Amino acid sequence: MPHPAPPRQRLGAMALADLPGLTTRHPAQFRAMPPGRLAGLIATAAALGLLVFALWRLEFSPARLLGGIGALGRFLVLMLPPDPGSWTRAGLILHGLAETVAIAFLGTLMAAILALPLALLGARNTTVNRLVQFLARRFLDGVRGIDALIWALIWISVVGLGPFAGVLAIMTSDVGTFGKMFSEAIEATDRRAAEGITAAGGSRLQRIRFGVLPEVLPVLAGQALYLFESNTRSSTIIGIVGAGGIGLYLSEMIRTLEWQSVSFIILLILMTVALIDFLSSKLRAAIASGG
Amino acid sequence: MLVLDDLTRRFGERAAVDRVSLNIKPGSFVGVIGRSGAGKSTLLRMINRLAEPSGGTIRWNDEDVTALRGRPLREWRARCAMIFQQFNLTGRLDVLTNVLAGRLSRVPAHRSLLKLWSVEERAVALAALERLDIANLAAQRADRLSGGQQQRVAIARALVQEPEIILADEPIASLDPRNTRLVMDALARINVDYGITILCNLHSLDVARHYCHRLVGLAAGRVVFDGRPEMLDEAAVRALYGLEAEAPAVPPEAMDAARNASMRTAAFQY
Repeated sequence: MPHPAPPRQRLGAMALADLPGLTTRHPAQFRAMPPGRLAGLIATAAALGLLVFALWRLEFSPARLLGGIGALGRFLVLMLPPDPGSWTRAGLILHGLAETVAIAFLGTLMAAILALPLALLGARNTTVNRLVQFLARRFLDGVRGIDALIWALIWISVVGLGPFAGVLAIMTSDVGTFGKMFSEAIEATDRRAAEGITAAGGSRLQRIRFGVLPEVLPVLAGQALYLFESNTRSSTIIGIVGAGGIGLYLSEMIRTLEWQSVSFIILLILMTVALIDFLSSKLRAAIASGG
Repeated sequence: MLVLDDLTRRFGERAAVDRVSLNIKPGSFVGVIGRSGAGKSTLLRMINRLAEPSGGTIRWNDEDVTALRGRPLREWRARCAMIFQQFNLTGRLDVLTNVLAGRLSRVPAHRSLLKLWSVEERAVALAALERLDIANLAAQRADRLSGGQQQRVAIARALVQEPEIILADEPIASLDPRNTRLVMDALARINVDYGITILCNLHSLDVARHYCHRLVGLAAGRVVFDGRPEMLDEAAVRALYGLEAEAPAVPPEAMDAARNASMRTAAFQY
């Protein structure tokens, strides 16, 4: 008959009956504390110790934090209701906000354009040779190591105060970030498409153009959109040092203690960032499904 | 006894599985055959409840599997082990831990999350690995193994579930002929030694004829053949593989699934 009788053996019962045999045949699997496990425990304990030490060394004080929360509450009351003060000032603030968004947009776009060739040179599968890859990578690391705020200070002393310095600051700091993100995305692409182009007799550039870029461009576009969002926030900050945009008004209002204007500006920034966030997530979803 | 009654799964307009009714006797080794997109995978995945039926019922020994929720559903899944074409192991975990995953439904959460396996649990996992001749690989990371070895790890994981039925979804589609034999022989041995019912999707008619007691042919989601392997004659094969040409177009998600599967197969062969 094709159908055998009901269960004859049970794995669990057989394993338990053979427990001594199994433990002698595979002693390593029954060790209470495998070496890898011990190393993991030590690393966790060390990280916790470092955290406690850092909190102590940096004088982390819950008492001071609690005391300060009262002050925070007072400011919050002073901020209500949000009010720009006058129509002229509202106009200036809106103009500053538009400038901030423009700085973020231009800076991100230029950074993405500059970063693409650098990323191709820095990615293992598209680079010219190992030396070029190494140099491209280190250059990107170096640029990325300096924050946008510091770049803003540098560019202000080169091209003067104003949004142009802001665009340059966002661009330089982002070239590093994009270069790294892009080259990692390029390295993560499917090798088989590029192999197909090579096998058909394609050159290095043709391989990149037909085997790599079509696969990776949607990913890069998504990353650029994401960074545009985060740059809208950073370009608020660089305005404070004089590189254009709404940051300048914000720091002025804080300095002159006009809290209702401060809250008006913060509210506007929040709304703008939320709007860009919404638009870019829609766009990224569209790219991901269409690409 | 596994009883499927009018089991249906729709993707939009098209039914991937269309009013399938089957009785699977305990201890039998049943092959499900048919072309890609015929609904074989969806059928198996519904039995494990990885896919929700759009209609119909699944019963196991008078228990309504389709109605299970929460804890009873997880217990059903433990009793109805699943083996996948792409093995579905956690590549960065070692083989022993992958196999012990088959025991998870019996281990309390705090102990399993800390990977504190008891001696008995390790013994069962190693016994299963010994059964499949790969106990020497217990400490290796799963993604370091060949496809055939990975599939045997997956079978060991199914085995430590001590299931009543094993659902194997194209278990050999990514394997070379030698590993195909190793894996199918292992399933056949499990079927005989432990009396575990096996329901196995297969592409290859030769393999299906050689290992199965009974074959169920699906085309466009419907059962078009059901009988002993020797009953599968020329006409039956033509009905099975010809019907689909006239059937409604394969939906995009099935095409995608098939394409992904074949791409992964290609990747494996490199």
